[in-house]
Amino acid sequence: MPPRARAYEGTGVTTDNGAPFSDFLDDYFAECDDHLMGVRRLLLTLEASVGGAEINRNVLDELFRHFHSLKGISGMVELRAAEDLAHCLEEYLRALRQGDVALTAEGVGLLFDGAQTLEQVIAARRAGTPAPAIDALVSRISRIVAEGARDRAVATLPGSPQAQGEPSGSVRPAAARWRCTFSPSAELVARGIRVDAVRRRLSEAGEILNAVPRVTTGGAIAFEFDIAADLDEPTLAAWRGDGLAIEPLAAPERAGSPTPDAPAATLEPAAPADAEPGQAGRVAPSHYVRVDLTRLDDLMRNVGDLVISRARLAETLARIERRVPGSEWRAIQENAVVIDRQLRTLREGIMRVRLVPVGEIFRRMPFVVRDLARESGKRVRVELRGQGTEIDKFLIERMMDPVLHLVRNAVSHGIETAEERIAAGKSPEGTIVLSAATAGDIVRIEIADDGRGVDAAAVAARATAAGLPVPQGALDSSQLLSLLCAPGFSTRDESDRASGRGVGMGVVQAAVEELSGSLSLETTPGAGTRFTLDLPVTLAITDALIAIVGAETFAVPQATIREVVEVPVSALLQVERNEMTTYRGAALPIVRLGRLFGLPDSGRDRLHVFVIGTGAAALGIAVDRIIGQREIVVRAVADALVRVEGISGATDLGDGQVVLILDPAVLARHMRERPDRVFTATGAAR
Amino acid sequence: MSGNAASGVETYILFTVAGTTYGLPSREVRHMEMVDKVTRVPNAPAFIDGVVFSRGQVVPVVNLRARFGFERAPYDLRTRLIVVQSASRVIGLVVDSAREFVNIPPDQVQPPHEALAGMSGRYVDGVASIGDRLILTLDLSRILKFAENLSMDLAG
Repeated sequence: MPPRARAYEGTGVTTDNGAPFSDFLDDYFAECDDHLMGVRRLLLTLEASVGGAEINRNVLDELFRHFHSLKGISGMVELRAAEDLAHCLEEYLRALRQGDVALTAEGVGLLFDGAQTLEQVIAARRAGTPAPAIDALVSRISRIVAEGARDRAVATLPGSPQAQGEPSGSVRPAAARWRCTFSPSAELVARGIRVDAVRRRLSEAGEILNAVPRVTTGGAIAFEFDIAADLDEPTLAAWRGDGLAIEPLAAPERAGSPTPDAPAATLEPAAPADAEPGQAGRVAPSHYVRVDLTRLDDLMRNVGDLVISRARLAETLARIERRVPGSEWRAIQENAVVIDRQLRTLREGIMRVRLVPVGEIFRRMPFVVRDLARESGKRVRVELRGQGTEIDKFLIERMMDPVLHLVRNAVSHGIETAEERIAAGKSPEGTIVLSAATAGDIVRIEIADDGRGVDAAAVAARATAAGLPVPQGALDSSQLLSLLCAPGFSTRDESDRASGRGVGMGVVQAAVEELSGSLSLETTPGAGTRFTLDLPVTLAITDALIAIVGAETFAVPQATIREVVEVPVSALLQVERNEMTTYRGAALPIVRLGRLFGLPDSGRDRLHVFVIGTGAAALGIAVDRIIGQREIVVRAVADALVRVEGISGATDLGDGQVVLILDPAVLARHMRERPDRVFTATGAAR
Repeated sequence: MSGNAASGVETYILFTVAGTTYGLPSREVRHMEMVDKVTRVPNAPAFIDGVVFSRGQVVPVVNLRARFGFERAPYDLRTRLIVVQSASRVIGLVVDSAREFVNIPPDQVQPPHEALAGMSGRYVDGVASIGDRLILTLDLSRILKFAENLSMDLAG
């Protein structure tokens, strides 16, 4: 794995090609993300085995490795709090693995707390904010480990390998051998750490057996010292913090003999070869490469350019078709078809690279729920489904907060207390189901709870109190959602931890719509609430229908359209200021795009209508006609001067002219909220 | 392109809008092109003609006639799109014509007259005399800032 190897290759704090420390930090944070994700996944597995007879040893081993790596890399960036906490968690896992302590619910709770605090410590470093205190947690964990060790000391026969292998400091092996690799760097020199200082430090700690300078793969120089010394964990950690990579060397004179105090076993009992990423020679080969997302964006842009060039070529070809002899035309045509296919494959390939499993979001949620449930005294179970569903990395990052908010809402507002649930004839434990599934170009994420449902009357009362216009009569779910998302509905004083620091539903809806997605709500009083987020799998290239209104051309992302119907203008009924038609036995409000955008009426007697949304939120957007379906490259319309509601981007159909991409979800919302406000067009001179 | 830095002489691109000659420092100009098809943008501010692609990027087109309070004129063969860059923003300016580059020494640029206050006082940062011609030099950042404020006013 080259990118990873670059950061570690026995070099300590800086990379051996002199890359800036900030680059290294980026690597560090990325690495931490990976390990923390692994930790979360494993803790959920572990939680299920509390009290059971058999703890899956592999789970403990893997957790141990993650904490061990976190400790190591945190030491390298001198994030002491993370290092100490990871060390402490590692010690606890070591005790668990050796059977010194039994896995209790309290212990799992501590591991959860530990993992979460560790994440906060690292996040604080990333944000440059003060880190949370870890002392209380560390001492609680240490106490459990110490108690376990004491019990064990009583129970274990003297001289058993386990007892002697315990690296608690009570049994110290004879001088062990270590290989310390020092890579000088400007940053270290600035801290006064030079090779002669290192040599002095090493010779004070023990005996230097061998010292050789080496040229690393990056062309930089490094010094390898083999020493015999008794090194305890704090010393090792301090040295690692000073840019020394340290690995135990097998003691040659005792190699092969099953001595309990072999250094490798002492330092890391049963640690697998890849537990210490600092040892380049021992890193297990991996077939994963970490790629900077911007590089993928560049590639995606290049492919986008290719798609446009292909469209231009197709246009040119169509023009010359009659002037080319038949046989030659067929050859050209065949080539064009092959290029089309290859381009599509290329595009899909690159998009697949950007896809990551949605489980990345989901696995955080049980943590959030645990905490909230504990604070509110509720019993909540989280069920995750479809974690393997893949979605664009860009979308994942932006969906994290909205999903988090909905999950928090489900715990604080949806699920009832155990007593209330029992009184309602439900199981005392509430369930939140997080599911993801792909349907065509759409990824559907659902957050469903079996709680009390949304109280429509309470929502209406609150909206009225907040001065929001509330529709008369019974509210349907889309009206409820509109009220919940209305600016001003979520008040500041409610900004407790549970409801997400004042981030209202409006922010959730805005985030979803910004990603060309849509949010919907289903709720049944007493039975539960389900929020559905429909998101495009990926953003940059998409299939769209091309529509014409008057002289203007628009693209409509196909994923947002449920159906296209042709409607005679005579079938449109005027209802007050709105037009309606019947669709599948129900009334469907129709918005004429031309009127919405202030374009001259073309006077056609039949219109094409895109149906978007479902149920009460369904809306038809009428255009003059649809002229075809195309693969379009989405370009951002970024400047504030032209960023307008209802337009999500722009594309080029091959002739170099900008074609605006409609955002039907936003248009629909606009119509629901401000049906009287008409869009106005600009008076371009032409 | 960016003039003779040593002597402080700045190269300006001269263009006309409604009979008046204006100048923009050429270092702020990315390139110029004929105005081709501008796509209208519904609900954009009134002085925006729409958007065009410029080197793969979607660029807003500001009609300087409309911006300066004159009647719009139909595009013709002399109409130009001056694509300018200010900070990270790229904006197209539609002008009646643009043909000349001139070097203007800084001592020939005077502060704008009091009489120029009003509409243009907000974005003209100097007046230069070249022979018997008067050239109003524009402060691009002020034009864009002005434009931005206005669009925010409209949105609100």
